[in-house]
Amino acid sequence: MNQRIRRLAVALLALYAILFVQLNVIQVGRKSNLDADARNTRLTVRTFNDPRGEITTIDGKVIAESVRSEPASEHPWKRVYADGELYAHVTGYYTFAYGATQVERVANDVLAGRTAEQQVKGLASLFDGGDTTGTVVTTIDSKIQAAARRALGEREGSVVVVDVRTGAVKALWSFPSFDPNLLTTEDDDLAGSIIQYLNDVPGDPLLANSYQQRYMPGSTFKVITTAAALDAGTIGLGSVFAEESEFLPPQTTDPIANYKNKVCGGDLTEVFRRSCNTPFARTALELGPQKLTAAAQRFGIGESLPFDLPRSAASTFGTADYFEDNLPLLAIGGFGQGNTQMVPLHMALVAASVANGGAMMKPYVIDSTRDHDGRLLDRTRPSVWKQAMTPESSTILTQLMTEVVRNGTASCCFQLANGVQSAAKTGTAQLNGPGEPERSHAWIIGFAPVDTPRYAIAVMLKGTNAEISEGTGGRLAGPVAKAVMDVALTR
Amino acid sequence: MTAPDYSIANRRRSIELGLVIAAGIITAGAYTLASLGKNSVIPPRILPFLGVLLAVLLFAHIAVRRLAHGADSTLLPIAVLLNGLGYVMIARLSERLAGLQTTWTFIAIATFVVVLLFVERVNDLARYQWHFFGAAAVLLLLPMVPGLGFSSGGARIWVNIGPINFQPGEFAKLALALFFAGYLSERGSLIARGTRQWGRFTIPEPRDLLPLVGAWAFSVVVMVGQRDLGSSLLFFTLFVVMVWVATERAGYLALGFALFAGACFAAYHLFDHVQTRVAIWLDPWSRYDGKGYQLAQAMFALGSGGTSGTGLGLGDPTRIPEAKNDFIFAAIGEELGLFGATAILLAFVVIIGAGLRTALRTQRPFEKLLATGLTTILGVQAFIIIGGVIRVVPLTGITLPFVSYGGSSLVANYAILALLIRTSDASARRLGEIPDRPTIRERWEARRARRHEQTPS
Repeated sequence: MNQRIRRLAVALLALYAILFVQLNVIQVGRKSNLDADARNTRLTVRTFNDPRGEITTIDGKVIAESVRSEPASEHPWKRVYADGELYAHVTGYYTFAYGATQVERVANDVLAGRTAEQQVKGLASLFDGGDTTGTVVTTIDSKIQAAARRALGEREGSVVVVDVRTGAVKALWSFPSFDPNLLTTEDDDLAGSIIQYLNDVPGDPLLANSYQQRYMPGSTFKVITTAAALDAGTIGLGSVFAEESEFLPPQTTDPIANYKNKVCGGDLTEVFRRSCNTPFARTALELGPQKLTAAAQRFGIGESLPFDLPRSAASTFGTADYFEDNLPLLAIGGFGQGNTQMVPLHMALVAASVANGGAMMKPYVIDSTRDHDGRLLDRTRPSVWKQAMTPESSTILTQLMTEVVRNGTASCCFQLANGVQSAAKTGTAQLNGPGEPERSHAWIIGFAPVDTPRYAIAVMLKGTNAEISEGTGGRLAGPVAKAVMDVALTR
Repeated sequence: MTAPDYSIANRRRSIELGLVIAAGIITAGAYTLASLGKNSVIPPRILPFLGVLLAVLLFAHIAVRRLAHGADSTLLPIAVLLNGLGYVMIARLSERLAGLQTTWTFIAIATFVVVLLFVERVNDLARYQWHFFGAAAVLLLLPMVPGLGFSSGGARIWVNIGPINFQPGEFAKLALALFFAGYLSERGSLIARGTRQWGRFTIPEPRDLLPLVGAWAFSVVVMVGQRDLGSSLLFFTLFVVMVWVATERAGYLALGFALFAGACFAAYHLFDHVQTRVAIWLDPWSRYDGKGYQLAQAMFALGSGGTSGTGLGLGDPTRIPEAKNDFIFAAIGEELGLFGATAILLAFVVIIGAGLRTALRTQRPFEKLLATGLTTILGVQAFIIIGGVIRVVPLTGITLPFVSYGGSSLVANYAILALLIRTSDASARRLGEIPDRPTIRERWEARRARRHEQTPS
């Protein structure tokens, strides 16, 4: 029997050897395939159950953090957003079943402590209970952001403030917003229905309208048309435009009119200050499709904004070929009507480029990332995105825009506190066709102080029902911009 | 004549004590780590836990020291280590089940000691072979009795008596091993020799073979009837291995495999659930939303564990259905990784080694066969379920000995362990490694006999 027992031992050993081989195949050989399987939620869960660092404003206010869940919870940590609605479009949300958005998404690795640098530091502190999570410091200033919300109130629209020298976004507000704390519930179905609801309600609160939507810019676009013509040399400060109430472009019998058919004309400063339409229609036509579309491209129109938050919209103007056959649309595009659509953040950058010698900076909202001990991991280095115009043209535009505040369409409403001189351009984008009730987007873009520019701003009130005139944009959006800029300039 | 040297046996007991304490410390350490991983707290009752754990382990060790001083030194420590790691995993999966498993562990260790206490001479058990056969038959039929048996998870293998639910099949395997060992040790050579010519083959007298084949067919039919494929496979293997070892004739092995292949073929074509098992074994992914889910989750768990595991309490084994039970190996593979899973495999290899060494050391055919059978039960049962979980063989629901949650399984396996230790001790006694003193019962009977002589009639 002994020989059989020995053979049995060998046979059983062989069976266990097979188990060991198969175990290696699964746990080592096929590991990456298994981990990558879409049906495998383990990594998501583990990541979700890890602690996660904070998101703060530039002035140190914590706007997202992880706190311990109540004992019986399914997940050990709960994400808490202080003043969630105010920062929702910056922080985004971090949910188990519906993923993450905004900074929570783009800076996920840093927050979760999974960048290579944090991992190495984590190894070193393995035995003293080191926490590898990282902190994301945003460029948002809590005071400016709060001022933006306060000034806009419960009107649909966006307020964006950028640092003209760096492109750092100091305020990124649009109404309506939402409270991300609603989505961190442990009840995934409830979170799903809330997301569904937020998707369905008017105003798209889940969308950061400030940079994920585009709107007809109205007369604020005249800054771009003017910059293009100044660069091309087709106009200058000495240019004089005919006094007229309307102008007939080629290829049509339908004339282009000034607001309320007012007679409007004079030198460049005058027509810019009063925001006449016909001079810019003529300027656009004189430049022609090639030059104006090329200038629009120099401003970054047609490209998604190189923002560090996800899914930026792209501003649109139109192609040269298209305009060759549709010159009237080129003419009205010259003052921001027709097919022209601009992202509010982009308009703030347009104003900032005027203030920054024509250099348009790359916008960013992540200032720096830090490890758990506060040591710097990475800092965003400001960089130029576009040289939108020559420095000479920017100097002239600064004068033109300063005049708008002094004596023009923004004089009512953009006089800053303490006598700080500002520069601006207003816009009233007419949305209604002839005979329909009047509806417009009210815009203002500007910057201050004029002599040493710090901040640029864009304010857009969406689809207002006010009576349309060349002053509408300034009258509605101007006070919002002033209130925000007054706060910004104290920072 | 030199004084007998008992130092080998004494050394075995010292080694056993050291290993048992090590197993206890590993268990308590793992328990602490699992709690730290899961809730980031050191378990509040860790010291009482360690105290009770060590007390129970020392109790088992002292029982072996007193009752089976010459036994193998590795069997008990490996069993308690497997039991401890299983307990940690169960506690990590469910607090409630942990409490029940604690109770069952106490009962199982008590059973272990009781078996050591009552079975003083293993060879005596051979006498009761037909009692064991009857017991096996009753235990196997019990779940079929209306009002007593009930189904759970598709298999009708449970019995409910009063407040207690148990799986009689776990004890039936022990009874069957005892029966086979008894029967084959008496008639193995008769069966092996063969007296009749049948073509080129010499076959034994049907009279000798019939009860054995009957016993086997009975158990297999009952198991198939109860849809418990895992146990059926285990009984079948047990039977074939024991007949082969007893008769030393490879023909029986071949016949066994042929029968097995036929049974597989028939079962595959007769039963839908067998077809499903084979289908999900070959490809659990296409049935992910149905029967393949459990295996797919086990694959995910093992994959996410990788080489070194997620760490105790840090994985997500609750996603695997029945992780506490049939799939506990996948949960261990997830949190302890390839290293931990391999440790479990090695533990069973050590059990197999110690069990078969016991079988080799003893001279008595009954003890040889019994030790072989009991070792086969533990080794093959673990192979069937681990192989099922990691897709080496089709999955058949069965517990992982000492590790899985479940009272019947734990008690039955500790009884098996006690018999192996008793057998091991018996050979040590015969080899002179420990004094061959009369057992308690023998002393008592001798005293009665003496008293009887002294009393004038």
